[in-house]
Amino acid sequence: MGKTYAVLPCNGLDKCAGCVTREIALQLSAKTDNEIICPVFYRVAEARYNRLAQEKPLLVIDGCATRCASKLAAEKRLKITERLNVSDYAKEENVTLGAGLSLDADALGLVRRAVTKLLNDSEKDNARQMSEVDDFFPSSLDYEIYKKDKFIFRLPTNEGFYFNENDVWAYVSGNRARVGVTDYVQKSLSDIMFFTPPAIGAEIVQFDELGVMESGKAIWEIISPVSGVVTAINEKLINAPEMLNQNPYEQGWVAEIDLTDFDEDSDLLHVFDGYMSILKRKVDEYRVKD
Amino acid sequence: MADKKVGVLACSGEECLGGTISRLATRRVMEKLRPNRTVTLCLPLYIAGGEEERNFAKEYPVIAVEGCSKHCSTCATEKYSGKVHDIVDVAAILGEDVALAKTVSARELTEKHQDMVKIISREICAKMDAIAGA
Repeated sequence: MGKTYAVLPCNGLDKCAGCVTREIALQLSAKTDNEIICPVFYRVAEARYNRLAQEKPLLVIDGCATRCASKLAAEKRLKITERLNVSDYAKEENVTLGAGLSLDADALGLVRRAVTKLLNDSEKDNARQMSEVDDFFPSSLDYEIYKKDKFIFRLPTNEGFYFNENDVWAYVSGNRARVGVTDYVQKSLSDIMFFTPPAIGAEIVQFDELGVMESGKAIWEIISPVSGVVTAINEKLINAPEMLNQNPYEQGWVAEIDLTDFDEDSDLLHVFDGYMSILKRKVDEYRVKD
Repeated sequence: MADKKVGVLACSGEECLGGTISRLATRRVMEKLRPNRTVTLCLPLYIAGGEEERNFAKEYPVIAVEGCSKHCSTCATEKYSGKVHDIVDVAAILGEDVALAKTVSARELTEKHQDMVKIISREICAKMDAIAGA
């Protein structure tokens, strides 16, 4: 395992899944140079782990849907590199975790497979990082179209796209997201003349403003679908905001964000099918008003 | 009073063996020794949790089971809920050198570790019984 992590398990004591997170963390640290962050002590004495959490990529292991470890990482504004939810992983592996807290053979088998998976993923991740520059975003997108009168609204069907009801998309891969507006926005605004980007390094909470666009019709705030830190902006838009009209999904993207808690953000986002219904309704209502 | 429920809150720490012992001893009490009289909370959830968890020390007399002198469980209880009734300190009972040793995974647990768990769980039971008899 080339890469070593700071491992933050939830360490839960009220469900078997919590005990499994602890066991995975311990076995990972026994096999490699991974170091464990105690979730309880981290809250009591922050300084003990701050440096470790910032120096090493962070692996968060949650036991259940409460996601105490992810929440702690978000609270401390840590960047999560890798995460595992034991309950979800158990479902994938067709393992039913017992009601008790002792780890039976099935649970120990699950631990073993999770450790192997994380070690392998880490190796793959190293290889991927070696070659990764802009592989992050798909080189081409597939679209589905909704047509109303002469207006055509496209929506990318590629996996990884999420949408909020404010008509802003996020393409999410790992711990990183690219954000932009949908066709509904650019068509509603018509010719976009000005774009004010967010500041690089800005800490954004889901539904915060992520820049402003202005057309002859209106000024429109971009409402961020995700929480995190802005790492890049599309500088070309400052001098050529018309790119937002030309293709808001590809060359008209707005910003890139390092995510802090996408699991929680995703609760309030739609994937393709959900947002397509919203888009159709908005378009239909908009045209009716006309 | 014999069936009086008592809150037992292990530090469950990952800093040292004491945390592991506190965790296993609490589980032993909860699952085997006093199954119907023990109420516990997951400490990480407790700290992150909502209002219902905050009443824990008000609803039950709480015994904090501490792995080491940092007393995370006591600190958390007193910060979020109320006074702890009693403390079982693994370091004080088994010695600091034992409590501060490296933490172990389930498959590394030896008979010696299990004996330590038994000592601490007996101590927890004694304090629970004292509360019940009070």
